[in-house]
Amino acid sequence: MASIEIANARKSYGAVDVLHGIDLNISDGEFIVLVGPSGCGKSTLLRMIAGLEDITSGDISIAGNVVNDLQPKDRDIAMVFQSYALYPHMSVAENMSYALTLRKTAKEKIADAITNVADILGLSALLERRPKALSGGQRQRVAMGRAIVRKPQAFLFDEPLSNLDARLREQMRTEIRKLHRRLGATSVYVTHDQIEAMTMADRIVAMHDGIIQQVGSPVEIYDHPANIFVASFIGSPAMNFLEGTYETKDDNGSDGAGICLSDGSLVPVLHAQGATTHQAATLGARPEHITIVSDANSGLAARVDLIEPMGLSTLVHATLADKPIKIFTMDRPDYAVDSTIHVSFDMEKVHVFDTKSELRLPPITEPHPSHRD
Amino acid sequence: MTLATQTGKLPVERRGGFSKKLSGILEPYLYVSPALVLIIAVMLMPLILGLSYAFRDIRILNPFSGGFVGMAHFQTLISDQAFLGALANTAWWTFGSLVFQFGLGLILALLLNRAFLGRGLIQALVFLPWAVPTFLSGLNWAWMFNPVVGPLPHWMTSLGLMAEPYNILSDPDLAMWGPIIANIWFGIPFFAITMLAALQSIPKELYEAASIDGATTRQQFVSITLPFLAPTIAITLMLRTIWIANFADLIVVMTKGGPADSTQIVASYIFTQAFRRLDFGYASAIAAVLLVLLLAYALSVIALRRAMTHSDN
Repeated sequence: MASIEIANARKSYGAVDVLHGIDLNISDGEFIVLVGPSGCGKSTLLRMIAGLEDITSGDISIAGNVVNDLQPKDRDIAMVFQSYALYPHMSVAENMSYALTLRKTAKEKIADAITNVADILGLSALLERRPKALSGGQRQRVAMGRAIVRKPQAFLFDEPLSNLDARLREQMRTEIRKLHRRLGATSVYVTHDQIEAMTMADRIVAMHDGIIQQVGSPVEIYDHPANIFVASFIGSPAMNFLEGTYETKDDNGSDGAGICLSDGSLVPVLHAQGATTHQAATLGARPEHITIVSDANSGLAARVDLIEPMGLSTLVHATLADKPIKIFTMDRPDYAVDSTIHVSFDMEKVHVFDTKSELRLPPITEPHPSHRD
Repeated sequence: MTLATQTGKLPVERRGGFSKKLSGILEPYLYVSPALVLIIAVMLMPLILGLSYAFRDIRILNPFSGGFVGMAHFQTLISDQAFLGALANTAWWTFGSLVFQFGLGLILALLLNRAFLGRGLIQALVFLPWAVPTFLSGLNWAWMFNPVVGPLPHWMTSLGLMAEPYNILSDPDLAMWGPIIANIWFGIPFFAITMLAALQSIPKELYEAASIDGATTRQQFVSITLPFLAPTIAITLMLRTIWIANFADLIVVMTKGGPADSTQIVASYIFTQAFRRLDFGYASAIAAVLLVLLLAYALSVIALRRAMTHSDN
């Protein structure tokens, strides 16, 4: 197992820049998830680590050695593809042993390795089958097995679960995590699914437009998103954003701050670092940080648009200051559509973003941001 | 189908139980009859008629011919040196053409499968020989080999392959190479295009996975490209074998089977017998033999393929 260092890596196709100077250090045994919308460059970055794409400039090192000019086969990495890329005319056992056979590993050793990995992945009964005779989940396992058998320095996953149905995806998520714990292998996992990122990662790397937006543990990223992009991308249902101005009430002695929304209503917030009074600011509130209150005086009026029961909880869609918001509640409300409810924001949990730079302005009570590395 | 008709008509008619039953039985056959009539008229009848000629004495210039002669034609055939020579020539012609058509076609397909500037144009141009009428390409190649009007003999002399420029088509030992070269030129596009189509259907990730697994380009070709191409190779080789064995156009145009029958293949021998000697009965007998040989070949290839795909699972 090995660490991976990426220093100022860039990628351009002709005049189009896909990655703009990526810096990332992945420690030995870490499970890193690269997450972002389609076209953010996450897959390109992964393929650059694998050696399937050239590096336009910068360096990628695996275990301390710069691998820029090494062929994929000389990088000692294994990759699991979205399409699984199993060799269709080879049996499961042949698929898994192909790399070892090419390296002229002794037959008994190969057989041992295959038996062992097949045991771990529950493929023992399928070893003689061809990929076309397997289900999607089984193919996915074979693809994993093919990677594990080689005992590579690092595992690279390119959206390996996106072709599976929801239930299977959930199951494989857990299995991959368990496998990682068992093997302790450095892993880089690409996904556009923020739930996979949240549940699997040691650290999440959120990417957008070829730039790393934030690197941090799932909880860190969820609780302290660096900017509006990360805040909106991570979390489901997504965070609510309400534009307004940042106002302070220092003048009348009561030490408070708030976001004044377009309809003039004020949402109290903690004092934000670097915020100036009257500046354009965006309030970010996760659906679970908005509560429906019965007392009309302690909340802002909102109009109910839709009630979405989700079993465990209920999602209330409403309009506040002409903006749609979502409210998460564990109750089972039965408001009529178009009825008026009153909502209050959890002052400690909501975020203030600079509307112009889209960066989060952390409350002054929060220690200096350490989530950027 | 029968069931549907019966239930559909059930409440109305009571009489004519027998004719109703009969029409119920006939109905499906009536539905397929147009197709059957067509197949019988345009495929089966000519085949049977042609085969029947093989057992009759049919010579166009002899008004008294037309009688049944039994196996006489076939008995003549067994000892006909020209036919036996044509049989050997057919094998040479077929496999000589096929090996190069396939080999060069595959190489061309592999080259065209790479990205390069102007690939679309080249791909279109590669198909050109296939679009040229065979009669025309036969004439062209005949001229190319002719030292009076064509450059090839002079080039070969310059390269030291020939002592002096002469027409290989008039040399009994070399004449067959003339039509074979023309046929190779003519047939490469077929293999290039079919192989290219097969190559382009191979998922790119397989090569990526193999390159990560440590396979060299040659190993990738052996363990990914070839297995993927195998079904296409099998079917195209079989088809082409039959087509080439039956393909007398180039030979008839370039050498007319000569000199001294050295380029006579079975198909051109049939043509010679039928349209030069006007002996349709004998020509039909040869055609029947060729039909049986090609059928046997096709069946054995299909059986082989079935055996291979079965062991596949």
